[in-house]
Amino acid sequence: MILAASSLIAQGSGPLIDWGWIGTHIDDMVEATLEHAVLTGVAVSVGFVVSMVLSLIAIRWRRTYTPITWVTGIFYTIPSLALFTFLVPIWGLSMTTAQVALVSYTLLILVRNIVAGVDGVSPDVLEASRGMGMTSRQAFMNVQLPLALPAIFAGVRIAAVTTIGLVTVTVLIGQGGYGVFILRGIRRAFLTEALVGTVLSVLMAVVVDAALVGIERRATPWARSRAAS
Amino acid sequence: MIRMRNVGKVYDGSADPAVTDLTLDVDEGDIVVLVGPSGCGKTTTLKMINRLIDPTSGSITVAGRDITEVSAPELRRGIGYVIQQIGLLPHRTIEQNIATVPALLGWDRKRTMARIDELFEVVDLDPSMRDRYPSELSGGQRQRVGVARALAADPPVMLMDEPFGAVDPIVRGKLQDEFLALQERLHKTIVMVTHDIDEAIKLGDRIAILNLGGILEQYDTPMRILEAPANDFVMDFLGPERGLKRLSLIPIRTAELAEGPVVGRDSTIDDARAVMARHGVDWIGIGTAGILEGWIDAADLGDGGGLPLGAMRPFRSRLSLDASLLDALDVVVSSRTSVAAVFDDDRYVGMLTAETIGREIIH
Repeated sequence: MILAASSLIAQGSGPLIDWGWIGTHIDDMVEATLEHAVLTGVAVSVGFVVSMVLSLIAIRWRRTYTPITWVTGIFYTIPSLALFTFLVPIWGLSMTTAQVALVSYTLLILVRNIVAGVDGVSPDVLEASRGMGMTSRQAFMNVQLPLALPAIFAGVRIAAVTTIGLVTVTVLIGQGGYGVFILRGIRRAFLTEALVGTVLSVLMAVVVDAALVGIERRATPWARSRAAS
Repeated sequence: MIRMRNVGKVYDGSADPAVTDLTLDVDEGDIVVLVGPSGCGKTTTLKMINRLIDPTSGSITVAGRDITEVSAPELRRGIGYVIQQIGLLPHRTIEQNIATVPALLGWDRKRTMARIDELFEVVDLDPSMRDRYPSELSGGQRQRVGVARALAADPPVMLMDEPFGAVDPIVRGKLQDEFLALQERLHKTIVMVTHDIDEAIKLGDRIAILNLGGILEQYDTPMRILEAPANDFVMDFLGPERGLKRLSLIPIRTAELAEGPVVGRDSTIDDARAVMARHGVDWIGIGTAGILEGWIDAADLGDGGGLPLGAMRPFRSRLSLDASLLDALDVVVSSRTSVAAVFDDDRYVGMLTAETIGREIIH
């Protein structure tokens, strides 16, 4: 692959970017964008739900936190190619294989941020909540979780941006998205197509990150007012 | 209203008890202040009343019911709670903060909103604060919101843990005065924790002085504690100015006021000199019944004829009958005339001198 890439850059003939090709492949790009967005969206959503469950367990039973971070930490460090190799014999070249891999990469980031966010709630605020008669469940839902939102959003942003990059690799197990352009561009030594895949992927990461910042601002108006005062 | 019987608390992993065999009754409508050095178990004692901490021995009843009869959250919804850093929920507006307990009790929106309107007036908060967040308020405003929130469901009992601890001394004094005025109207049963004996003396109907390990050294009215400290610990804790602290508890209203060296504005200088000589002072007050216009220095009087009214100076400090003898003493020692002039609204009622104030200390 590296050889292919270097031959791609060494290719001397013609203009660096073939604008004509881009013009005739807009439909492909839209389709790839949708596929890429779905793969990312599903992975981050499922990862978030799983992480939330793991975090609740870790918060409720403190002793489980360390083992949970170990296991999710191992998932996080396994190279994606290696993980596909393990998973393909089980689920084949499928969406499931892709999602299991993508989801497992989000867990460590999300669990750490959710737990840290909940732990970061001021003990005074928590005690006041309980002292006013909230049950521990009410205190968690109405006080701890909302106050953990900035940390949780930070985790979701990292997870989303990371996943958008990782999704390009899932082309190797037959999935769509921008990886298709990148892989095909490299194989055919066609710089324009590889660049289109790369640039679109980066663009999506930037747009999604900005969108999440926007949502976070709306969801945590108190944090905004503090900055203003 | 609150009865604690032989209450003890030993924390897990600690050999020494935090609270030892504490028996204490809090009467309805009283402010009881728990005071003592750090480690005396005052906060532990407070938190045992709303079950934030469970006692290891003894029993506590609130309004005749053992506090373990109902679930802890249910008990707490019926007891107002104010803590030192106020503990306002930073992600909720002032309105939402005050509505916390009503929401837990399932009040409808209309009733909650009407109650919030009422509370904004009770604690004197600007209605424009309703939609602000706690971080946008000053320390004093937050403290008021904390009190309003604790009052929201109109609980008969309030627990306050260093409620004035987080504001500067000037704001604190003002909030304490407002708090006393509020209590005058509301008649809540209040248990408050402080480490500041002066705050305890100012606010408490009764003071419980606790020693290390939660041992109750004395439980009595501030006046009786100051008059007769139970032991050396209490004496030390009260500090060296017991006499002055007692003066702070005695309103001028109860003291004997003197007419003072006062003559009418038509008097002669000779009359004035005679009055000054009788009182042993070197100035003369000008006024008639119920009116005190000012005073003239002996040096400005001149010889014979009418009073030089142009040389008259005003009494700068005008004390009300509700001010304390300590306030009066402060005026006495800091004014040229060495007296404190006392007024009932605008009517002059008499003077206090160091001598008359001193007599009250000996009483």
